[in-house]
Amino acid sequence: MNLLSRLSLRRRLDEDLAEEMRQHLEEKTRELVDGGMPYEEARFAARRAFGNLTLLEEQAREVWRWRIAEDLWADLRSGLRQLRRSPSFAAAAILTMALGIGANTAVFSVVRAVLLQPLPFAEPDRLVSVQPVDVRGGPHPTSLDYPTFFDFRDARVFERLVSYRDDERTISIGGVGTSVPAQIVSWDLFQLLGVPLALGRPFLASEEQSGTRVVILSHEAWTSYFGADRSLVGRMIDVDEQPHIVVGVAPAGFHFPLRSRRVALWTTLARDADSEITTPITEQRGARMLDAIGRLPRGKSVERARMELDAVAARLARAYPNSNESLSATSVRPEIERVVGESRRPMLLLWGAVIVVLLAACANIAGMLLARTGDRERELSIRLSIGGSRWRVIRQLLVENLVLAVIGCAAGIAVAALAIRALLPLVAEQLPRASTVGLDAPAVLFATALALATTLLVSVPPAVRIGRFAFGESLHGAARTATDPHDRFRGALVVAQVAAGLVLLSGATLFGAGLAHLVERDLGFEHEGLLSFEVSLPGTRYDTDRQVLFVGQLVERLRAAPGITAAAGALPPPLAGDVMSVSFQIEGMPVTPGRRPASDMAIVTPGYFAAIGAPVIAGREFTGDDDARHPRVVVVNEAFAARFFPGGGAIGKRIESGARAKADVGREGPVWREIVGIVGNVRQAPLGGPPEPIYYLPFNQMPWSPPTMIVRTTGEPLAREHDVRHAVASLDAHVPVHDVNTFERRLATGVAAPRFVVLVMGCFAAIALLLTATGLYGILAYAVLRRTREIGVRMALGATHGAIAAMVVRRALLLVTVGLVLGVLGATAAGLAIRGIVSDLPVSGPAALIAAAVVVVITAAAAACVPASRAAAVEPMSALRAD
Amino acid sequence: MPRPRKDLFPGALEMMVLQILERQPLHGYALVQHIQRVSNDLLRVEEGSLYPALQRMLKQGWVKARWDVSSSGRRVRTYEITAAGSRHLQREVSSFERMLEGIRLVISPVKS
Repeated sequence: MNLLSRLSLRRRLDEDLAEEMRQHLEEKTRELVDGGMPYEEARFAARRAFGNLTLLEEQAREVWRWRIAEDLWADLRSGLRQLRRSPSFAAAAILTMALGIGANTAVFSVVRAVLLQPLPFAEPDRLVSVQPVDVRGGPHPTSLDYPTFFDFRDARVFERLVSYRDDERTISIGGVGTSVPAQIVSWDLFQLLGVPLALGRPFLASEEQSGTRVVILSHEAWTSYFGADRSLVGRMIDVDEQPHIVVGVAPAGFHFPLRSRRVALWTTLARDADSEITTPITEQRGARMLDAIGRLPRGKSVERARMELDAVAARLARAYPNSNESLSATSVRPEIERVVGESRRPMLLLWGAVIVVLLAACANIAGMLLARTGDRERELSIRLSIGGSRWRVIRQLLVENLVLAVIGCAAGIAVAALAIRALLPLVAEQLPRASTVGLDAPAVLFATALALATTLLVSVPPAVRIGRFAFGESLHGAARTATDPHDRFRGALVVAQVAAGLVLLSGATLFGAGLAHLVERDLGFEHEGLLSFEVSLPGTRYDTDRQVLFVGQLVERLRAAPGITAAAGALPPPLAGDVMSVSFQIEGMPVTPGRRPASDMAIVTPGYFAAIGAPVIAGREFTGDDDARHPRVVVVNEAFAARFFPGGGAIGKRIESGARAKADVGREGPVWREIVGIVGNVRQAPLGGPPEPIYYLPFNQMPWSPPTMIVRTTGEPLAREHDVRHAVASLDAHVPVHDVNTFERRLATGVAAPRFVVLVMGCFAAIALLLTATGLYGILAYAVLRRTREIGVRMALGATHGAIAAMVVRRALLLVTVGLVLGVLGATAAGLAIRGIVSDLPVSGPAALIAAAVVVVITAAAAACVPASRAAAVEPMSALRAD
Repeated sequence: MPRPRKDLFPGALEMMVLQILERQPLHGYALVQHIQRVSNDLLRVEEGSLYPALQRMLKQGWVKARWDVSSSGRRVRTYEITAAGSRHLQREVSSFERMLEGIRLVISPVKS
């Protein structure tokens, strides 16, 4: 029976009963009247014989009652009534709860999706990320080269081991080329992940052979480029202007690797085994460019696999000292750790911060409830003394708080939804699996559980208070002038809030300072007005010489275009965060190949430094003459010169880079390059520490692949996109232009993640400050109200207004001081955690702490102001006359 | 639960009502009168206390009620015993008789 029909049935039963009883009385009265009794007398006699009508009716009804639920319902209604009666209290409590629960639910949703959700592959616990470790300097994991990968794979440490690397491919649909993100993987990627294809079959082992042309399309690419044509499987499509057979289509929603970059197609490493240049990269030891994922055999631990693989790496280091000497160790860790990566610690930090927010909110609400119990002492006393059970009164209080919790919880979920909606897009690109974040059932459940826990927690102090209540006293009004023992507890709550506020605020300050430092650090070039874009030259039609020619012509066309003042190319461009670390040796300082120093390297076209506005400190930059027919040259940055030529005089020295141009591959002996210039430190990464050494090679002498093109524009850079496309199309209409971007945007993307943390921490700190202020205000104002009479007496006895105000301020001061002391301890611990995440902070912990403390004190002073002045304004006579 | 009189044991009122209804359906007031008449006014129940008992029996499904028009032309709610009520009555009566028998054996003078 559902509730509604149950209720209507109940109503009918009640009506029947009432009528039946009335009939009984009437019949009895009639009978008595018939027996000769006067009507009035008969009526009373009938009533007497019947007994207590109301009580009996109540008892009869009770038979049907669903007792506890109905009591609860009554409590609920009374709770709502109580809240309506004090709307400001209700609003404050609900708002506090909404903020606390909302912030926690939002962070929980993100943490769950990003950190806790298992990988969407079969038996994700057995998936591991495999990397070699470069043991030079501080050992650090690095990328794999193909021969080392094959050796690892053949060692059978893992059930399967798969390599993957990013690639860009151009697919042609109806003769129009579109550049799409792609991956080059070993054949058994889908088998390893345990993901069945939506259509077709996975790759075969034989399809790693050079010359094989097969692709698997992502579901998205299959849908958007080929109209979800099921007959596509087994047919040819053009990839990089070469026919490839589509062997399969991945299931919808499948992504690998899990990043914001959505891969449209996968090809086997057959592509890398092609020998377009002398040695295919699958045979080049030291060409480190691969990531690898492995599946552990059942029962083998990560640690065990690492030890076995270490032995393999050590053997390779002995066998191939030139390439593998520095790679004598390995890193094997759960794949989820790689996916979660660097977002783990900031996430956990935010989680910690948000828990502090919740605790502050709890302290705040508990304080409010205590004050309210105090205000209702008389009412509650009366209820207790006319026989209400303590349990019943406490239960009613609990229900009232539950009403608050339900409303607060609903509001909190709304806050969380808003917060996720507003804040998540800011970091969607940096946060792994950000697209899966949402307010789902577990999040709502979490919010509900949190609301319940909060209710129970904040109900304890008032419940204890009612349990202990000597109600006679409060009926006599004695407690209204005595000092309230619960003031001390409320004071402790305020102390906790002050401490929480300080911790959050100092944390936010530290982060904020760190961010400001990162953003304001000199980029080393003038990034305003720069526009960058990529071109993909199909290898079939563009051999190396034609690529050089194309890039040279493109730079000319771009320079001639309207609104463009300079053009150049760089691989990788500044602020991209891509680093190419390549070892080198310095002439006259011979070391064995395995011990050569390494530094960042970039390939740039003539005029690059002038185009981006980087200063040439000494010597010259590259010119059009620095080509294959002229002596090999190199330009280094200041950091490079300072690190490797500390005595100065880098100009004119010669180095040999581990990177070789195709033309130089067969050449005997070292290919020395003369340092012809020193340029300023141009930042390659959008964030990061002090400038890193880097050396630049001229594109015309090292034409690896078309660089990222950069143009300097007058006015809004993105307005020139059309001209850029036009310039490319005028050279070759089939070359796609993609990833058009401004450096403003590159910079913004780079700092998005730390800015997000600062923003969120700032929000938390603001909430905590608000809570501290209202909490402090609440306790002081309440104390002043309770002590009005005492203050009146004091004034009557000669206390000045100042002395009274000072009394209130002293109390505030005491609470804030104790809170600050506790907060400093907490903030120091938090500061250490933050330093673990953001190294290189410009602000010291104590400085941030002092700044935060000042803000807390000012807030507290503002909160104390009103109650203090209200206390000072007490009229002694009216205070004494009251009650 | 208040009982009609202290000297009525729990369930006695229900038993009496069922016993009466076993013979004929009656409405509340008639039931009260019947009880008083057949017990020679020895059992004086508070008249109204019948109603909570009737509600309990309704809920248990021992009786059912319907609105009727009485011989005197007034609307009355007539109670009727159900099959479940009859079974319950039998159980109660037999257990009551066993109990009575036990009490009688204990309090009657020992025959030697």
